[in-house]
Order: sequence, then C-alpha cells, then structure tokens
Amino acid sequence: MFILTKIADLVQIKAADFSKPSIEAIEDNINAKYANKVLQKIGLCVALYDILWTSEGLIGHGTGEVNVNVEFRMIVFRPFKGEVMLGKIKSSTPSGINLFTIFFNDIFIPFEELPAGSEYSHSDQLWIWKMDDVRLYYDTNETVRFQVIEEDWHDQTPAGPSQTSLGGPDEEENAVAPYKIKGSMAREGLGVCLWWDN
Amino acid sequence: MKVLESQTAVLSNFEVHEHLAELQSRKEKKKRHAPPSNQGMVVDRTLEWLRLPPSPLSQTPTTYHADSIPTLLERLRPYDLTKGELIMILNLRPCSTPALNTTIEDMEVRFTEDQQMEILTIIAEVLGQFDPPEESEDAEAAADTSMADAQGS
Repeated sequence: MFILTKIADLVQIKAADFSKPSIEAIEDNINAKYANKVLQKIGLCVALYDILWTSEGLIGHGTGEVNVNVEFRMIVFRPFKGEVMLGKIKSSTPSGINLFTIFFNDIFIPFEELPAGSEYSHSDQLWIWKMDDVRLYYDTNETVRFQVIEEDWHDQTPAGPSQTSLGGPDEEENAVAPYKIKGSMAREGLGVCLWWDN
Repeated sequence: MKVLESQTAVLSNFEVHEHLAELQSRKEKKKRHAPPSNQGMVVDRTLEWLRLPPSPLSQTPTTYHADSIPTLLERLRPYDLTKGELIMILNLRPCSTPALNTTIEDMEVRFTEDQQMEILTIIAEVLGQFDPPEESEDAEAAADTSMADAQGS
C-alpha cells in the first residue's frame, strides 16, 4: 500500500520560522507542501519519512529567506496493481460500488468486476450477490477486500483558458480526482470480509 | 521539485503505522509547535484507518513487533512467495484459505492443501491472530485478577 519516494526540492525558510530549530523548519516546510497531496504518477503523499541530505542555507537576495536544497523521502500511498487491500463501502450506484479508506476516497469497483450473479437493488440502493437461494448484501460501511486493477491519473494543472468554450466543460473537468483506483471484487475471497473470515 | 527515485522501497502497513504513531506522539509529548494542518489531518486519518478492525494493527496489545517481518520472511522462504505476496500477507494477515487465496496468485496450482494450511499456521504463529471468544475471556480473566490484586493490596 505504501512506498517511499525520494525527492529533491528547494526549501525556503521564511524569517518567521527562524525561531524553530532548522530541522523542524525544514520538516514543516516539506510537509506543508507535500502532505495529503497527490503527485502525478507517484501517489498520495502522507508524510515525510526522513531527510537524506541538505545543503548549506543560503540567504536569498532581497527577501531574507534561507534557501536550502534538500533530498528526502516521503511516505506515499500507492498500492501496486494486483494488490489486495481493505476498503469500506461508501455508496452503491447501478454502475458500481464506491469505496473509501478514510484518508483516500477515490476507489471505484465497476459492476463488471463484481462476482457473477450480482444484481443492483434499486429499492435498497445496494448491490446484492445472489447465489442459488443465498442473498449476500454489499451494505454501506461494510469492510471489503478488493484487488487493485487499474489506476487513473488526472493532472489538475490548469491548462490555460481555452479559446473555444467558456466555463461549462472546464468546470466539469476540474471535479475529476487527481488519482483514482479501480478495483475488482470478482475473485474468490474478495468482497465483504465477513463472508470469508469466520 | 524533482523526483529522484519514484520508488526506493516498499513499506508494510506496520512500518508506516510505527512512523506515523511516532510523529503523533512527538507532537503530543514535546509540545512541539503544531505541524502543518494538512499533515496533521492526513496522519490522523491514516492512523485511524490502520487501527480500524479488521486491520491486524487494530489489536491491542499489538501482535506485530520489529522482528516479526524478518521472522516471517525467514519462515515463509521455503514456499518461494514473491515480494508483493509477502507484503500483502503482512498487511492483511489472512486467517482463512479464501483470504490467503486472494494474496497468493494461482495458489491452488502452486501449493497443496497441506502446504496452504502450513502457511496459515506460520502466519498465525508469527503475526498473531484474532480470536475474539478466547481473547475476551483472557482479557476478562486478566481484568479479574488485577481487580483482585487491587482489592487484596
């Protein structure tokens, strides 16, 4: 689920932070910039793991900020393809099931990836797995095991104003999450944990 | 910003849990000035998730220790599992054959039923297991004795 990523960056310590010990000022600076942010094709940064190297601090011309080059490692949430992990059911729609893991909310299980015999119940707004005469419910908030099959990156860097259209489609695009995981619950042992562990 | 190496290592949930718990306790103990709010939030949430049952880390006292990982790797070596499979076993701690089946690819082909049971036993021995009925009794018994001790003294 988690990996370490090595990053080099320039940290600028503001004069207001000079009262902190240097190491804390650098840590806070890095965490403020990266924690809880998605780096494209890297994953969701959780927290600084360790600092590997720092340069001497150099005072910039004109601002009085101390500039330090730092190499560090971040803890990054990035499940690998094929990884099985836990999630909770957030909501169900006819197109599939949305999962969340408190710190990460963009996991989707499309209906094709549910086991054969699954049906959507419109009255309950739930997916139900029917096997012969047994009906198993994918209840909301139930903990499930799922397998990561695909990841979907969406760079949110603004592309600049488009000449042709105004507003409309751009706004829709902005709502897309930067990092989405597509999962499967079709294999044996996947799905609601309670069904398998007794 | 420059990414020097997109993946220098894979961390198990246990290692992440240790690191984040230390960050949190450092914050609480040393009365260090508050870390950036975005960091505080994601660390709290990740810890909450890692400690949410049925995650194996939700157990107190924890059954994972610093030497659990090398011990497990050593004992599962004869089965020739891949790194990814081992990471999933560490994170999920499968306790039944269907659960183990999700973490090991082509399990039925690669291992006989006996071997599957052996793997499950090793996992339970090294990483511990949930055993609600027994454990609660133990906990109650422990609570009873400590109560008795407290009253006796």
